[in-house]
Order: sequence, then structure tokens, then C-alpha cells
Amino acid sequence: MRWSKIFIASLCLLAPVEYAMAQTLDELAFETIEPSRIKLGESAILRVTSFGRIKDVALPTIPGLIFETMGRSQGFDFINGSTLPATFFLIRITPQFAGMFSIPGLAPNSRSIGLEVVKGDEPNPYTWRSQQPAPAPVVTASLPKGVQLQAGGAAFVHLAIPARPVYVGESVPVQIEVGLRAGIVTSVNGLPTLKGSDFTFNNLSKQPERREETIEGGAFVLLTWHSALAAVKPGEFALSAQAPLTVKMSTLSAADRAVASRLAFPLLQSMYSGIAPREMTIESSPFQLKVLPLPTEGQPDNFSGAVGEFRVSSDVSPANVAAGEPLTLRLHISGAGNFDRVDSTMFDHLDHWKTYPAKSTFTPSDAVGNEGEKVFEQPLIAAQPGERSIPGLEFSYFNPNTRQYERAQTPAIKVIVAASLASGVSLDGAVVTGATRGLRPDHRIPQNQVSELRPLYFRVPFLIIPTTLALLLAGSWFAVRPRAARATSKAAERVLAKLDAAARTGDSSSFFEVARQALLHNFAIRWQMPVDQITVAELKARLGTSGEAVERLFAIADEAKYSDYHSGRTDFQHWLSLIRGQLAGDRE
Amino acid sequence: MLIAALALWAGQAIAQPSQPPYSADGLYNLANTYARAGKPGLAVLNYERAAVLAPDDPDIKANLAYVRASAHVLVKPRNRFVRLGEATNPTTAAWLGLLGVALVGIGLVVRRIAPRLLWIPGGGFLLGVVLIALTASNAMLLWPRMHEAIVLIDQTPARVSPVPMADTAFLLREAESVTMTAEHEDFMLIRNGSGLSGWVSRANLGAVVPPVGGER
Repeated sequence: MRWSKIFIASLCLLAPVEYAMAQTLDELAFETIEPSRIKLGESAILRVTSFGRIKDVALPTIPGLIFETMGRSQGFDFINGSTLPATFFLIRITPQFAGMFSIPGLAPNSRSIGLEVVKGDEPNPYTWRSQQPAPAPVVTASLPKGVQLQAGGAAFVHLAIPARPVYVGESVPVQIEVGLRAGIVTSVNGLPTLKGSDFTFNNLSKQPERREETIEGGAFVLLTWHSALAAVKPGEFALSAQAPLTVKMSTLSAADRAVASRLAFPLLQSMYSGIAPREMTIESSPFQLKVLPLPTEGQPDNFSGAVGEFRVSSDVSPANVAAGEPLTLRLHISGAGNFDRVDSTMFDHLDHWKTYPAKSTFTPSDAVGNEGEKVFEQPLIAAQPGERSIPGLEFSYFNPNTRQYERAQTPAIKVIVAASLASGVSLDGAVVTGATRGLRPDHRIPQNQVSELRPLYFRVPFLIIPTTLALLLAGSWFAVRPRAARATSKAAERVLAKLDAAARTGDSSSFFEVARQALLHNFAIRWQMPVDQITVAELKARLGTSGEAVERLFAIADEAKYSDYHSGRTDFQHWLSLIRGQLAGDRE
Repeated sequence: MLIAALALWAGQAIAQPSQPPYSADGLYNLANTYARAGKPGLAVLNYERAAVLAPDDPDIKANLAYVRASAHVLVKPRNRFVRLGEATNPTTAAWLGLLGVALVGIGLVVRRIAPRLLWIPGGGFLLGVVLIALTASNAMLLWPRMHEAIVLIDQTPARVSPVPMADTAFLLREAESVTMTAEHEDFMLIRNGSGLSGWVSRANLGAVVPPVGGER
């Protein structure tokens, strides 16, 4: 009875403890991710182990990560030698880009974990089948000078800058080193930043250098970023670096932590430890940077603000062109310095060449663009053929090492420019004779236009016009037949006028002679026969009775010609009437 | 009535262009463009076409000679008579010929009407004959150019037969002038300045005077 009372009493006393343990087990869960560093394109498996009655876990939303639930299973897990029933949730995580990700706890009271995603061409030391060499052994090192551990000794940030004074505009390489104590710092929540005014900063290198060292007895992961800065004005300025982190830190006081450490059961220790992830930003100690002004003495006229150490060279392609065709002059400027201040003003003195705006490309040889090569491509067109020379290009810059201005110059380049069609010289370079001093200019906008090139006289429609005209004229020629009376009428009138004049003066010799000649011509035309063939018999035969009068007139004409024949006014009128009658008969 | 209708139709056919218009200045400017672009074949073709319309234009002559010289294409110099005949604008010559026909016809009719007025119709008749002779000589000199073509592509093969796979007889230079003597499908039988004949693809030639409705 006594033992039973003791047993019951013990159960009553242990009930709250069991209840508390059950509650604790309901809330106890942890997550693991394998592997914690993967390449882009691979996936990691997140396993959530719950010792309570969790039915499901909610998938988080993190930019750049894709979460997929693979399944849920029941089983046992071993904790400090004890076997406990557990529920396992398997989640596949696939990244979309490289970076460091912090995944919050999916189960209540679970802590966030980190996932590092690297690009495919980077070595993954955690890959089982990796062909890359094994990671370097962890070396023991000390904290850089002047650097203090922060976040409870979990991390530090160190800004490395050349200690010497720098010049305005000079590109100064800087190095930001973040040390993370393994297991304490769970994630880096972003890129470190430089804090300081009066500076311009280049972008940080995309991927930090990673190495592991043992510092002050603890394992540290060191991430190093590179960048470059340039001061915009002289003076002395403070500069520091910051890095956002998530660190596992205890939220309990020292006394509470001492109580928790005395708890025997590990689960109870875990419950009362008070360790929780905490986001914070650590900052390096400020760095005093002295910025000197650029000297004004000896500054070249063509100085564009480039500060550094540069080398220049040039080439041209093609080396042989025709006049009017473009060639490309390339100016290579390599070295270290502020390449953003290296411009194309050196092309401003290319006389006798037609130029177009130059374009430039910069190829960095380091992570931050402080070193590299800038190439300017300048299109050139030669207007005149022959052997041409591209003058040397001069580039001035300030060298902070020698603390003086320096000039870099390229040699002149000879180019053979052949003639083109528009150059006035034949393609083989020989001068073309005659009116060949190049093409003559274009004409004004044409005014006269034709529908086709064939000349008019080869076109049927045009040929119809002269043909029609010729037909018309030919028809006219046939239509207007010549008339003899019309041709002789005016001559007859002139003869009658002479006869009248002779009759008025009484000149019988002229009168009858003119009358005879006129009648003979008239008869010759009418009868279509020569004058000498008109005989007396012909007159009688053709004229009948009137022929006798004409015969009488011819006889008087002979008499008047060879003797002194006198005729009265009455006779003249008689004979005039006879002659007028004969000539009129001709016109009818 | 029939003659009047024909004349009216001819006048309308001449006045209304059935194709996009040509002009000597436009062809000259086009040839300059081709010359600057380094295409001597097309440049010479358009200079030649411009010269058909304006044979006395000194700019066309100068640029044509220059482009030919730059392309290393030699042409035989024309004699003085040919140059004199070609110096007359064909369009002007055509209308002068028409005037000559009119003068000759009218002179004959006038002489028929008034035989004694010898000097007036005689002078017109003589002038008409001269004008017709001028037009005829101009046409005779231009007739070969109706069959002239310019090689547009450098190293154009002249083949022994009008098929694409035929052997190459000789090669023609770009901007070279040839005479078209026959045609068969897509090939033209040409004769170059050296008297060599061969079949050349139409696509490689440009006729100085394109056929009516043909390619420009």
C-alpha cells in the first residue's frame, strides 16, 4: 500500500514534467540541408525533422529559390543516444541564380539555415564526385592589424586600402574581407558596402574569394570582395565597410545561461539555452584616406583626367583601301587606372581624314575593372588617293607613381589609298587623261521626259505623221494641175499695154512687131508646137477665116519692119481688137 | 478622214507616255550614283542611255569617258562624221525631218501651182531635202545603238551555246559595250569590240535602248 502510494505520488509529481516534455517535443524540430553549397543548376535537399505532431510545413517564398515538397515520412532519430520518433519532411530547393541565401525555419522554433549557390564553372569542394583538387588545408592565422571581432566574436570586417596618399580621380583598389565563424554566422544577408562620402565606387566583384582559416582558435570562413574607388576632391576622408549578417546569439543573460548549463537533459538544455538567429550589420574601423589634388604645373592641354599607368598602341585595318571607303583605326590603351576618364579626344587632330564618332570597348583584366584594356575604334575615310599617313596619337595621363604627367604616343601609320570611281584617278592609281578630274556633279531635277528611249523616227506612231503629211501633199500636188492661160494671162496684159503705148505714139513698126511676137507665142502655147513651125497654112487650118486677118497682120509687120509703113489711129484700134480677141481666146 | 484619224492617233500615242518617263538628266544622275557606288556597268549603261537623249551634253560625255577609263574599258574613237551626226538630238532630228518632208511637199505643190515662181519653192524644196538628209543620217548612225548592250557583271562568261552549262568562249569585263545580234530564250548572242561572238545571259546585260515593255 505504501509503495503504491509512493508510485501514485511519483506519477503525480512527474505529470507536469511529462507534460512539459511533451510540449517541448511538439515544438522541437530542426532542419538540415545537403549540400549547403551547390552549383547553379543543381538542387539541394532540405530535411525538416520534427519530434512533435506537425502535420505539414509551409514552404517559404525566397526570390531565387524554388521549393518543392518531395514527401513526408515517419521514423526515428537518435539524439544524444536516445531513440525518438520523428517526422521527416523532404523539400527540394532549386536555385535560379548564384548567391548566398538564408532560408528561415520552416517548423516552429527551428533556426534559419544558409545555402550558397555558385556558378557552374566554380569548384564545389563539397561535391562527392568533384574532379577539382581537394580544398587547401585550413591554415592558422591572426586577425588583421587593427581589426576587432564583432557580433560576440562571431565575425569581423576588414577594409584594406593602400596606405599612401592618393590623387583626385585616381582609381584605388580596395579589398573588403569578411570573416565568419563557422556554425555561428548562419548567412551573409547581402553584399558588403563602403561607407564614405566624396568617393565614387566601382561595383564589387560578383563572387567573393573564399578561404578558411583558424583565427584565435576558431574556424573562420573568410570572404573577400574587391572594388575600386576614386576621390572626387582633395582632402582627408574617413572610409569604412559594412556587412549584413545573421548570427546565432544567445538571448539569455549570463545567469540564465549558467542555470541552463546545469540542466542534465540535452533537450532541456536546448530549450533553455536561448540561442536564436539575429540579423545585424558589422562595420569595420574607419580608414583615414588622404586625397591629394592633381598638380597644375606641367599639365598637358590634352589631359582628360586619366590617372594611372597606361600603355598605348595602334593599328589600322585594312591597310589598303579605295578612296571613299572606310578603314578602322584602333587605339589600344592598356594598364591600370581610371579608364572611365580615358576618352577619344586624341582623335580630334586627324586632319585630311573624314571621321565618324569613335566607339570604345573596355575589357577588364581584374574583377573590379581597375586594370584592363580600352580599345577605341575610329572609322576613317580618305578623300584623296595615294599614300596617306595617319598621324601618331598622343595620350596624356598623370602617373601617381612618378607623380608627374606623362605622354604616350603611337607612331604614324601609312595607308595606301587607291582611287575610286569618284576620285578622278583610275583604280590602278594612274591618272586618267582628258576631262576626268572626277565625276561631274549631278544635274538639276529633270524637266523634259520621254516615255521611251527609242528616237522618234524609229517609232511607228511618229512615222505616221510624216507619212500622212506626205500623202496630203502628194494629193494636193495632183489636185492642183497647172493651167497655161493662167500662166500667160499676165504676159498678155503686158503685151497689150505695150501695144497701146505704141498705138498712142504712132510707132507702127514696134506695134506690129510686138503684136506678131505675142501672137506667135500665144499660138505656140495653145497648139503645143515651136514658134518656127507655125506657118501660114497652119494658121488657116487652125483659125479658119480669122487666120486671114492674122496673116494680113503678119504681112503688115514685115512691111513695117522693112519699109516705112504708116497706119492711122483707126487701123491701130482695128488691129488691137483683133489681137485682144486672139489672146482672150487663149484664156478661155 | 482616215488620214486625219491616223494622225490624231499618232499624236496621242506620242504625247501619252505608256511607261515611266526617261530623262537625260535623270539618267545622268542615276549613272553618277552608280559610279559613286562602284558599279561601272550600271553607270555606263545609264550614261549611254542619257547620251541617246542628249548626245551633246558635255557632262555625260565626260563622266562616261571617265568611268570607262576607270573600269579599264576601251572604246574605239568615232570619226568626225559620226560625231557630227550623233551631236544632233534625235528628237530634234525627228521633227526637223518632219519639217523637211513638209517643205519638200509644199515646194512641189507651189511649183505646180506657179511654175514661174522658181526661187521660192526651189529654196524650200532644197532646205527640206537637207533636213531629211540630216534626219536620215542621224537615224543611220543611231541604228547600231538600238542593238547595243552594256555588260553589267565583271567576268561575265560568253558561252559557245545558249545554255548555262556550255563552255566559256571568253570573258567580258564590266562596262564593256557589246552588240546584240540574236537571242534565244534567256541568252543573247553578242559580239564584242574585238569581233568575238558568244552567248551571254540576259541578266548580265543591259540594253542601251530597252525594248518597248521590256526591262528598264
